[in-house]
Amino acid sequence: MIRRAFLAALLATVLGACSAPAPAVFAFSGPPAGDEGLHVTSLTKDGQILVSFSLADGLTGELRRAIDSGLPATITYVVELRRPESLWFDRTVATATVTATVRFDNLTRQHQLSRTIDGRGEEPRVTEEEEDVRTWLTAFDRLPLFSTAQLEANSVYYVKVRAYARPRLNGSLFWPWDRGGKTGYTPRFTYIG
Amino acid sequence: MLTLRDAPPAMRPPAVRPRGRRPFRDNPIRILASIALLAAALGIALTFATGSARYSPDFLTEFVLYALSVADLTMILALVFVLARNIIKMMVERRRGLPIARFRSKLVGALLGMTLIPAVLVLLVGSELIRSNVDRWFNAPMEEIVASANRMASDYYGERQKLTSDTASRLARLLASLPFPDADPVAVRDLILPEVVQQRASMIEVYRVARARTGAPAVTSVVDVAVPSLPREYNRASADRLAERVAAGSREAHGPEPLGVGGQLLRAAEPIRTPDGTLAGVVVASDFLTGDLAARSRRMTDAYEAYNQLKVLKNPLVSVYLSFFLMVTLMILVGATWMGLYLASRITRPVQRLAAAAREIGAGHFDQRLEPETSDEVGSLVEAFNSMAAELSASRQNLERSAHTLKRQHQEVEARRRYIQTILDRITTGVISLDDANRVSTVNNAAARLLGVDGDQSGRPIEDLLARPGLEPLAKLFAAGRPGDADRPAQEVSLARDGRELHLAVATTTLHGEGGAVEGRLIVFDDITPLIRAQKVAAWREVARRLAHEIKNPLTPIQLCAERLSRHFQAAPPVTRELVEECTRTIVGEVESLKGLVDEFSQFARMPAPRRIPTQLPQLLSDTLALYVGLFRDVTIETHFPPDLPMARVDPEQIRRVVINLVDNAIEAMDRRGRVFVEVQHLPVERLLRLVVADNGPGIPEGEREKLFLPYYSTKRRGSGLGLAIVRRIVAEHGGTVEVTANAPRGTRFTIELPA
Repeated sequence: MIRRAFLAALLATVLGACSAPAPAVFAFSGPPAGDEGLHVTSLTKDGQILVSFSLADGLTGELRRAIDSGLPATITYVVELRRPESLWFDRTVATATVTATVRFDNLTRQHQLSRTIDGRGEEPRVTEEEEDVRTWLTAFDRLPLFSTAQLEANSVYYVKVRAYARPRLNGSLFWPWDRGGKTGYTPRFTYIG
Repeated sequence: MLTLRDAPPAMRPPAVRPRGRRPFRDNPIRILASIALLAAALGIALTFATGSARYSPDFLTEFVLYALSVADLTMILALVFVLARNIIKMMVERRRGLPIARFRSKLVGALLGMTLIPAVLVLLVGSELIRSNVDRWFNAPMEEIVASANRMASDYYGERQKLTSDTASRLARLLASLPFPDADPVAVRDLILPEVVQQRASMIEVYRVARARTGAPAVTSVVDVAVPSLPREYNRASADRLAERVAAGSREAHGPEPLGVGGQLLRAAEPIRTPDGTLAGVVVASDFLTGDLAARSRRMTDAYEAYNQLKVLKNPLVSVYLSFFLMVTLMILVGATWMGLYLASRITRPVQRLAAAAREIGAGHFDQRLEPETSDEVGSLVEAFNSMAAELSASRQNLERSAHTLKRQHQEVEARRRYIQTILDRITTGVISLDDANRVSTVNNAAARLLGVDGDQSGRPIEDLLARPGLEPLAKLFAAGRPGDADRPAQEVSLARDGRELHLAVATTTLHGEGGAVEGRLIVFDDITPLIRAQKVAAWREVARRLAHEIKNPLTPIQLCAERLSRHFQAAPPVTRELVEECTRTIVGEVESLKGLVDEFSQFARMPAPRRIPTQLPQLLSDTLALYVGLFRDVTIETHFPPDLPMARVDPEQIRRVVINLVDNAIEAMDRRGRVFVEVQHLPVERLLRLVVADNGPGIPEGEREKLFLPYYSTKRRGSGLGLAIVRRIVAEHGGTVEVTANAPRGTRFTIELPA
């Protein structure tokens, strides 16, 4: 019996580790302070929740070196619209995934930029400007990620954004999963309806 | 697998291997499958490690490292689990003191040490080798070479791109001099043709820009000129898109376009503006890079990028290779650990089974058998063990049968002993058994009662037992014969106990063993006192009957003769007549007296059998004692009759006579002055009614008490001496007893006990 229980616990640990590329973040009774550097704001307009976020220092030296080496670098933002719960974990109302990818061609010295929102690609761009790359990877303005149809009137919500970069340059021998992800939250807002 | 349970031996099945699923360690197919699986995993890992150079660093660090880490963690947990489980198991076994546990733990420890220590050492050394080798990949000369090559290719590429851009800018300024956008295409061609002819551009395309209704600029190709050597695989649409972007104000005015033949077109676009700054058109200049040149440039850049990517992903890549190495090491460790535990189990398990089976046999479970798993020395040992167990089982069965027979015989002997003991306890014959040293073995109840000793005299010399006061005649009789003497017939011995004479018929019997040796003696004695008394009474009754017959017959003729003499001498002289009358009166008086005496003898000799009916003794006694009221002025008769006395089955007339005799005797003994006490007691345990008649007279000497009940014995001056003899006889015929003892503080006490 003990052997079975131990094997079950072992299997659950392994499966949990396999199914969680990024550590889950649980929020009790509202958004915590979040990580410095990931600033998130939201705006409700025309039936859409427009989410803006910027990742200061997102283009780290390591990521810059990876880009310069020609590796495609991607920053993935998992944006969650959440509803606080008083006695339980906050409920996730909707989730959107935004990715920004840059690939540097050392021959032409041009950066090829691309973005996807929930898998839908935008028009790629080419630039030679470092600042354009930084902005492309780290700044997103008023993305219409959620519809207000999913919200309940007079209810409180907030938006949580988790950001993590690829390639992983800090993967260790025994723990290959991300340890450098950042999380940001909007202040709570009440949807009037 | 041998199963040992705490079941009764009769219910315990023989130890056989249960059918069905075999344990893993006994299933060769599963063991081989596991080894094959482990070897396959090892082979896959090695193959993958060998071909890892073909995979991109990104793939290695993103997916392979992830998978390897999960596999490593899983195997580490599995290894820890296997080790922890077996360590705990061994600790428990050692704590419980199971056999072979210490040897097994030593064996497992040695095997694990032989595996773990080299594996860990190899892992440490190999890891360091990997790290140092990876560091060697990135040395300064190599980095400089690839960086310089890439810089050269990039600079050349940039130079060609810049030239193309300059050509586009110059043409834009030239074309601005034409009345654009309405310029004649021929004029435009003439203007741009020299650039193509002089090979400052491989192709030039001019677009006219017009505003659409939405306000967005729309480009329309006006003319394009290309050198004849330009491959036809180029894509005009890319130039159109570039023109559109420039017309829309984008700063992205140049870019490469790969061609199918291997070359590239370096495009550059420039807006054509009228003198007032209005966007009128777009010129796109393209420079063709041959395939070799583009390919060489790309290879140099790829080499540079590959080098830099390796450098950037150095740590994850090291982790990948370390993970490979660690995984292989862990596989070896898991396999070796399991194999070590398996070997230890294979070695110690038969011994453990033997020890467990031996314990079971020691506990009395002789049906334990072991199934030999191998045909080697251990198998021979198991066979020998099974043979030993079978022989032990057979011996045990024989022993149990013998014990059962012995037990049955013991029970029979015990039953016979109880039977004899019961008889000895119940019979009225006293029996004393002696051992060969004349020590008392048993004394039955009758012997204890007759001799007045305790029943527990075991081990006491018979001489001590018979040395008690009153038992001297018996001691003398016993001293006259010794053990080993021939059995002697019964002899009568008279003992005086508690003022009573006790007549015993004593016989001794020698007990012989199987070989005829003397094992002891039996002293058997019967109380023949009642028999003696009965014989005396019968004799006296015969005497009485004959006396009555012989005396009564001549009394009447004597009386008649005397009366006849008296009548005959009526006429005689007065002196003679007076003499005769006096003599005849005396004769008649004495004859009358003799008749009364003879009547009493007759009554004693012909006393009828009692007619017993349920009688209330207190009522009978009260009625009887009422006869004495007022007769004796100085005699007080006191009675004590407790309530709720049971009825007594007696002959009321005979009991009345008994009471009158006793009370008369008491009054006479007190010389008609004193106190008579009459009491009735109920003894429920003994089922007796006790009648006591006591007086406070002078009492009777102890030596004369027993003689009181003999016929014709009397301490009075008158009477026949039959009163107490009649009392004893009446009481005896009622099944009771009568005793006379001294009354306290003075007087005599008669105690009659009758069945209730």
